[in-house]
Amino acid sequence: MTQLDDMRRAIREADPKLSRYDPLPRIISFDDFDRGMCGWTQLVGNYEISLDQMLPGYAQHTHAQLSTLPNWDFGSHGGVDGSYALKLATRARRGAQNVTLKRLTFRKPGPIRMECYFTFKPEATELQLMETDVRSFGFLYDLQVGDRAGAGGERVMPHLRFLNAQDGKHLQKWQFKRKTTEIKPIGNVGKTISHYHLADSDWEDLPGGEQKLCYNEIPTKINWHYLRFDFDLSTMQATGFQVNDRTFDLATFDCIRIPAMKNLWCMLNLCFFAETDTDKRTFAYLDSVCLSGDF
Amino acid sequence: MLPENLTAVVARNETWTGHSATEPYECGWAKEAIAFVRALKAPKGKLPKARIEISADGMHWAPEGSSFELPAALDAVTFQRVAHFGSFLRVAADVPDGAEITVLVTLHLKA
Repeated sequence: MTQLDDMRRAIREADPKLSRYDPLPRIISFDDFDRGMCGWTQLVGNYEISLDQMLPGYAQHTHAQLSTLPNWDFGSHGGVDGSYALKLATRARRGAQNVTLKRLTFRKPGPIRMECYFTFKPEATELQLMETDVRSFGFLYDLQVGDRAGAGGERVMPHLRFLNAQDGKHLQKWQFKRKTTEIKPIGNVGKTISHYHLADSDWEDLPGGEQKLCYNEIPTKINWHYLRFDFDLSTMQATGFQVNDRTFDLATFDCIRIPAMKNLWCMLNLCFFAETDTDKRTFAYLDSVCLSGDF
Repeated sequence: MLPENLTAVVARNETWTGHSATEPYECGWAKEAIAFVRALKAPKGKLPKARIEISADGMHWAPEGSSFELPAALDAVTFQRVAHFGSFLRVAADVPDGAEITVLVTLHLKA
């Protein structure tokens, strides 16, 4: 630790908003949704000439919402330390998904760290806890090497999801994915392709990834969870993953890897997604997200 | 800091037949909204009026009182201004048999 590191840490720990995070030396973005949408938007699918060409997985996506987590029975829940969180809502159809993302590029291929406080729950359409309504909550990076990386450069997409439930079974485990769906050309101009990498297929269990997350007794209450994911852009390998009190072994973890595309150099996109397992909306919430790097 | 100002696409390339509505949109932070509707394809049949609906919880809906024409031709645009709407907004319409419209619905929200 240098004097600069000590000073930086002291300043951050004196700030109540940042002191619950452990960022790397430089903060790329710190999104507290009490300040608005903070650059989180809707993931729209690719298309050419007609929107009908958009893959169905993307066509279902809608815009994230600034939410006070309002509930019919006790009113607004609020965030960790303010009124608002970012809400991601699926449609009320089994298997429906939604995604929100932030689109950046990186300036140095080195370590990055994503931390957030998240929670999820089903829409409270019934007067009973349905802990198996939410299928999953997860996140991914969409990354690509710089334009001087040379032959063999890759687009790399680390995915992790908490598989809460499937087919009525309360599974509660973290999974990752190495395969995407077939890459399809969109339209006939030859400039656009698409692939739905969030399809509910090819997910693999993270060894030791079973985790009983805190959930409440009725479908309107939530508890916030801490999550940290470390990744090295120089090696394009994940280096750490923590949720609440648990850190997970990433020895077998890998990413979706496809050849670099002609237009995505230095891409650094961060996405969160939610998926419902019943004909009920799933809500995923982010209180705040801190993305930091060592550069 | 400037007040929050958001364009939210709440229905994109969705074909409305029968009872149709946009997904619930939580926007209690906003003091005012305009809902724009654009027809992405030539509408068919006799179109009903659309209406703004509000909700206490995003599940139980009531007409806010505003209603407006749906766009009658490809790429035509209609809109409705609304204020003092609580926490949730949506645009709804009851499209009669034989009619349909494919819509782009956007909410333009300001704190």
